[in-house]
Amino acid sequence: MKRIAILCPGRGSYTKRSLRSLPADHPWVARAEELRAEAGLGSLRELDATDAWDPARHLRPDSVSPLIYLISMLDAQEAMAAHQTVAVAGNSMGWYTALAVAGALSFDDGFRLVQRMSRLQMGPSPAARARGPEGRGEAESLPDAGGLGGQVLFPVVDEQWRPDASRRALVDEALATSAGEAMPSIDLGGYAVLAGTERGVAHLLAALPRVEIGPSVYPFRLAQHGPYHTPLLAGVAERAARELADLEFRPPGTPLIDGRGTRFTPWTTDPRELRDYTLGAQVTTPFRFTTSVRVALREHAPDLLALPGPGNTLGGVCGQILAAEGWRGIANRADFERVQEGDRPVVWSMRRS
Amino acid sequence: MMARARQLPGSTPLFDTLLSLCAKRDDPIAQGRHKVWGSRALWVPPQTSTIASHLPKATGLAFALRRAVRLGVATGLPEDAIVACTFGDASANHATALSGINSARYGHRRGNPVPILFVCEDNGIGISVETPRRWIEEAWSNQRHLRYFLAEGDLAEIYESCAEAVEFCRTSRAPVFLHLRTVRLWGHAGSDVESTYRTDAEIEAIEAQDPLLANARLLVESGAATPDALAAIVRDARARVAAAEGEAASRPHLATTADVVAPLAPQLSSRPRIGPTPERRSAFWGDALPESAATPSKRTMAAHINSALADEMLARPEMIVFGEDVGRKGGVYYVTAGLQKRFGVSRVFDTMLDETSILGVAQGAAHIGMLPVPEIQYLAYVHNAIDQIRGEACSLSYFSNGQFTNPMVVRIAGLGYQKGFGGHFHNDNSIGALREIPGLLLAVPSRGDDSARMLRGLLAVARECGRVCAFLEPIALYHEKDLYETGDNGWLTDYPSPGDALYPGEVGLYGEGDLLLVSYGNGLRLSLRAAKRLGRPARVLDLRWLNPLPFEAIRQAAQEARAVLVVDECRATGAGIADAVVAHLAETGYKGRLASVRAVDTYVPLGPSTATVLVDEEAILRAAKEAIA
Repeated sequence: MKRIAILCPGRGSYTKRSLRSLPADHPWVARAEELRAEAGLGSLRELDATDAWDPARHLRPDSVSPLIYLISMLDAQEAMAAHQTVAVAGNSMGWYTALAVAGALSFDDGFRLVQRMSRLQMGPSPAARARGPEGRGEAESLPDAGGLGGQVLFPVVDEQWRPDASRRALVDEALATSAGEAMPSIDLGGYAVLAGTERGVAHLLAALPRVEIGPSVYPFRLAQHGPYHTPLLAGVAERAARELADLEFRPPGTPLIDGRGTRFTPWTTDPRELRDYTLGAQVTTPFRFTTSVRVALREHAPDLLALPGPGNTLGGVCGQILAAEGWRGIANRADFERVQEGDRPVVWSMRRS
Repeated sequence: MMARARQLPGSTPLFDTLLSLCAKRDDPIAQGRHKVWGSRALWVPPQTSTIASHLPKATGLAFALRRAVRLGVATGLPEDAIVACTFGDASANHATALSGINSARYGHRRGNPVPILFVCEDNGIGISVETPRRWIEEAWSNQRHLRYFLAEGDLAEIYESCAEAVEFCRTSRAPVFLHLRTVRLWGHAGSDVESTYRTDAEIEAIEAQDPLLANARLLVESGAATPDALAAIVRDARARVAAAEGEAASRPHLATTADVVAPLAPQLSSRPRIGPTPERRSAFWGDALPESAATPSKRTMAAHINSALADEMLARPEMIVFGEDVGRKGGVYYVTAGLQKRFGVSRVFDTMLDETSILGVAQGAAHIGMLPVPEIQYLAYVHNAIDQIRGEACSLSYFSNGQFTNPMVVRIAGLGYQKGFGGHFHNDNSIGALREIPGLLLAVPSRGDDSARMLRGLLAVARECGRVCAFLEPIALYHEKDLYETGDNGWLTDYPSPGDALYPGEVGLYGEGDLLLVSYGNGLRLSLRAAKRLGRPARVLDLRWLNPLPFEAIRQAAQEARAVLVVDECRATGAGIADAVVAHLAETGYKGRLASVRAVDTYVPLGPSTATVLVDEEAILRAAKEAIA
């Protein structure tokens, strides 16, 4: 039994390869179907079981978010049964999952939170949402008005995951020249996730130079993502506080680390603070996943970082954070890969294919 | 500090502490240079272990809080900020502690807000020496201008008392003494075996008061927690510490000398030219610009330092000037004359007669972004407060890896040759105690124009690099007008235009010749006089910078000379710079003759007897002739 920190993935984690992830007969899946029906929404099981990948359908925020929540919960349950969980955190919407994994919300409340937030964040106009496979290269086909905006991904490290000051400077400059239309959204290991209005997103895509790392080309817009974790979602936070007032937050059973790096322990947590953060600052201020993981490492020193599915979107990100921290002597990508292949790997990607 | 860190999202106090305990390079405050707690983000300057040496600067900071607001200095602190300063019952007896607490009371008595919370953690013992029962209450519970709070009893009672003390301090802006009763479990340190001075019964009685166990009992009895839950917390904490310890222990230490000394003495990367705008100068000086001064008394060193201080205060709104008698009187030698009238009592003020407190105010003000220029009235007086420079001000950048600094220029009047007044305490001629302080920049001017330019250079270095600088002003040269003959006005100079500054390493050179006289301060003027009488060409070098010494310039000048004579007005043994200059030239292969003249190893006497111990012109002349014979 190892001491593990569970890190729940965010919105980009369910992809074509994730299809058919749900078990047929797990009580949580059945319960999720009931909650979907109560909300007048379609079946997740059916969506997950289809053979054909339809981005417009599968990446619809109010479908994909609950699906991710469900798969992450199932994986986390498996990890917790096998190991000792010393801390739980998550990236972006993964924070909602983390609340439920750590026991600060019931399964049902966690599901409702994810479901409701994804609906609220869809914004007023469906036209605002990007279409196409994972949004890559789709910027030009986006409508330029009417939506809430979106998120753009750009690396701030080099191929070997060493900090690249020039790329960081490019990000700073792109934000500074956006006339307030673009802003930081998520601090994601070696990536800066930026967000903005439609105008801000267009500015970012134009201002940031083309960068290739391996098979990926940056910057790119994240498909069907809104300008999460920015003041642009102040209205969402207000509605969430009203519409989710009945969620029962409680002290977690294992320490939880939020997107600012604040630790909520089983012994010291005021559930009101959890609620205020989750429905307030978490929605409207940058999410610092890097800080969450840094705090998990430095304050809990887990043997393993466990990454529940779907997908493995946080595998490289965690490697980048470990390299930035110099954890276990890891200074770059090659070190990380060596440690992962050795007898004491530090990241456990539960859905790595 | 752990509790404070928990209020800061993203902080990692457990791992940070382990890194510090293991003296690792990744320790975020000291990089392993010392086992200290501290954090820039938490406003906790790292505290080293000279006993109670932090109380004066804590008081200084409390005093400076309001002053910074008044001067418009952006401190980043909330308006109701207070300073908390902890120390033990044994340390409370230390002269420095008494100085710090006294100056807080004095400052408040004079009507200044001094919101400081002195927290005396009274465990009744200092290593092995017991504090007399009730000593702390007796000493501190009945002092005027110091509100005393006692915190004892169970957790809730202690919390109440502490909260009350903090609230009183915050709202009244007055000094508070919070007497916190506690116990010491185990010895003073790992190497301290408690059983050598305490009986088993005493040790058992103290362990029965273990506050952790007492609090646990309280929580269980009140139903707030179960024994199992509390045991789980202990298990969890132990497991976390044990796991993190392995990672912390694997981190590297600082490995090179360059890495170790990096934050000690940061250098300027350029030669800044800073001065007030012509408009501001014109509004301030009117048609009496110091560079236009023609009367002799306006062209002396004292006048130039006075004008340079004024110009710099015009250019630097965060600069404050203070010390004994510097305000209303304008300094015992009138070097700060008129500054208080022109800049107001917020920026130019008199302090109480205590050098430790003066330097405490300087550090406190420097911590929050001001540029203090404290005056120590006489060089001999530095010595009763030297630890404030040595153990505190200069070490801070080193122990915080440059995250906390003490930008300041300490003006000190000193050295010998003062006519009609003197003796050791006013004419001390030893800079040994300043020269040995790592990171301290020490400068001694010999001429009026140099003094203005050097002062500007020091202020720029202090501001830009966060350095502690000492400006040792030769008293005997303050009002000196002549160089060779009475009435020749050869030592009067024109005021250098603002922005014209001298920086460390830049020496002065006079004349040409194959004999090089190396000197500073009064010795420079005496060397020029002797050189004139030598009957052959000689070159005189003014060191100007005595710590660090300008070795490169010395070597260069020496290359062209067949003999070097060091004229050091300080006492012969370890008090001046002669040893260092001679040794350096010898070690770097200087082939010519090396010699020095120095003062006698004695305290300086009064009156004409001083001539028997100080370096004079005749001695220089004799030594110079010998050197080139």
